[in-house]
Amino acid sequence: MRRFAFVFGVFGIALAVSAQYQDQFKNVWIEPGSGVVLPEQDSFDSVNGTVGVLYAAGRINTDQNPFFTALGTNGRACVTCHQPTYGMSVSVSGLSQRWHLTDGKDPVFAAFDGSNCPGLPQNQESSHSLLLKRGLFRIPLSWPPKNADGSPKPVEFTIEVVRDPTGCNSSPEYGLKSADPTISVYRRPRMAANLKYVVAGARPIVLKTGKLADVDPETGNPVSMNLMTDAREASLKTQAMSAIMGHEQARVAPRGEQIEKIVEFESQVYVAQANHIFGGPLALPDGPQALGPAALRDHKAGVIGSINHDPVFGLFTSWKGNDYLRSSIARGADLFMYRQFWLRDAAHINSAGMGNPMKGTCASCHNSPMTGQDLSAGWIDAGTTNFPTWTEAPTWAEASELPVFKITCSRDSDPHPYLGRLIYTTDPGRALISGRCADVGSIVMQQLRGLAARAPYFANGSAQTLREVVDFYDRRFDMKLSDNEKEDLVNFLGVL
Amino acid sequence: MRFAWCFGLCVLGAVALGQQKSFVSCPIVRDTKTVPCYLAEYEGETYYLGIQQEVTSEFHPPQLKHQVLVEGRVAEGPRVCGGIPLQPVSISVLKEVNLSCNTLLPPEPGMDAPPVPRAVEPARREGVTGPQEFTMLYAFDDDYVDYAANEAVTDAAAYAKRIGAKNVKVSGYRATTLLSSGERLVEKPGIAEKRAQGAATLLRGLGISGVSTDAKADAEPGDGKTDPSRRRVTILVTP
Repeated sequence: MRRFAFVFGVFGIALAVSAQYQDQFKNVWIEPGSGVVLPEQDSFDSVNGTVGVLYAAGRINTDQNPFFTALGTNGRACVTCHQPTYGMSVSVSGLSQRWHLTDGKDPVFAAFDGSNCPGLPQNQESSHSLLLKRGLFRIPLSWPPKNADGSPKPVEFTIEVVRDPTGCNSSPEYGLKSADPTISVYRRPRMAANLKYVVAGARPIVLKTGKLADVDPETGNPVSMNLMTDAREASLKTQAMSAIMGHEQARVAPRGEQIEKIVEFESQVYVAQANHIFGGPLALPDGPQALGPAALRDHKAGVIGSINHDPVFGLFTSWKGNDYLRSSIARGADLFMYRQFWLRDAAHINSAGMGNPMKGTCASCHNSPMTGQDLSAGWIDAGTTNFPTWTEAPTWAEASELPVFKITCSRDSDPHPYLGRLIYTTDPGRALISGRCADVGSIVMQQLRGLAARAPYFANGSAQTLREVVDFYDRRFDMKLSDNEKEDLVNFLGVL
Repeated sequence: MRFAWCFGLCVLGAVALGQQKSFVSCPIVRDTKTVPCYLAEYEGETYYLGIQQEVTSEFHPPQLKHQVLVEGRVAEGPRVCGGIPLQPVSISVLKEVNLSCNTLLPPEPGMDAPPVPRAVEPARREGVTGPQEFTMLYAFDDDYVDYAANEAVTDAAAYAKRIGAKNVKVSGYRATTLLSSGERLVEKPGIAEKRAQGAATLLRGLGISGVSTDAKADAEPGDGKTDPSRRRVTILVTP
């Protein structure tokens, strides 16, 4: 009763605070070629306040800037899927609004990958259900994977389509048995911001695999392999080129200077939650030093923190006190860094010499300062895509919205360390690029910044809210989190 | 004096100090107030293997869902986490999934994890300019380059660059383990070649040219004492 009264009081104050910030709330969908000028700092409505976007280079004139210019044939530009409003990604709520505003004609819904499959009737919402419900774009990948010279890579497994709700993987035109054998998986676009952290931490040999890291084709230097869900692109330049030729369906490759301009733009964008609807501004002189986009601009990338003195997202000590929300966030920060649980059966964590099970915390994997990616090349099978821990319905035949693949690994290959040689998965992840059985279901970790602006979560868009993210991990690792602990973690993640 | 000798035997049971133990079994994980201890049973006795550490440490724990090949020497001292300590100890996680390996024991009063052992300082070769051999060690039937092997190949590359090496010869080996039961475990054919090619690829990726490889197709015999040291790649760097 006392707690209820307290919460009610906080809620009342919060409504007043909310009204105070209401004027600043906005959502702006930037269309390619609109020529808008972006202020050095901007903030946009997110589910629990505002997300801040900071351009370190100052005011941005988007006119003629190739990031904001359609360079292909379908009317899209980079900005189409990397909108400042949605933390340089795109949210389901934004996509839904866009569908209704444009009657589904916005280039973001392009048949090629903005629909469940290009062959479907494009004027129907149901043909875009994965994008509209889960924020997923189709990622068509050649099978088997190819080397840079176009030759097929050796693969350790066969792949069959056992469930195909989109029809694309069994399509004679687009599927696995088409003239150009292709696997279609469905993934969220990653945020094109805070990228100095994403490309940092490259080592010549990837610790998790004991093999050479990919190299930047331009410089020959090893790369972090943390850019993409499956680490298939070596550098920001190769990613931009690939996205223009694929997502934008360009027929002519962009000029080198256009690619350089794109990389230059996205390398100076910083995104983080800026205000909390109940808590007000987050980046305060006496508050946690990692909050807000300016902190991301100012912090050094690629450094390893210390668990006690320099945790992943800094210290929240100054928020431990009487303020209900701030105390909850500070407790969430402690839970993230220090609340131990048994980490088990996670390929490329437990199997990389750490033991199975091992005692760890959220920060054991989300260890990269300021962003919470993995400082080592970060593909891990946390269990989101592989049966039986996957995020889909427990029985895939019932209701999986995603395709289900059956992976059969050859006898002479190393099996998946915890699932063996027969695996059912909605997305083989890194294995679609490496061809390795042990990589099936391994997904490169994403940044944990600006989360409140860009739901849904996980690479497969299966968690509509941060609470669903926390619930998944609670189930997956039997963390035994209390409701209060879950609330604290959600509050913490919501201000990053 | 006689009492002290007897006391040692009492602590270790029927297991003699310094005795080599090589066996395959399911690992056991014992929770403690701090980090977990990893154990294994053989012929009714429990052996302590090590504790959870960093990925950069010398000891890499075994894994539930997998059998483990344990090769270690019975060490001095009391039981740790309920097991007779083996030191040094080599752990090879067998690749195939085995769901019967699933024992996780709760913490028990008095069973505390020991402190993290001090890291061994790597050998330094400053000022050396002559032929040098670097050794990468592997788990049984495995070509995974762990942190220590990663360091070895990185050191070899750095040394080759420093002296402007004209020849870098990579030799891969395949070994046998003599188990305490008398049975012999022989590594799979082709593993020597795979190890050698993998190491050579790493060296080339680290900027070393003129790398030649050879692989010993025949498995070296096991003696039940030094078998882990024969699962290796040697890199001979010559000026």
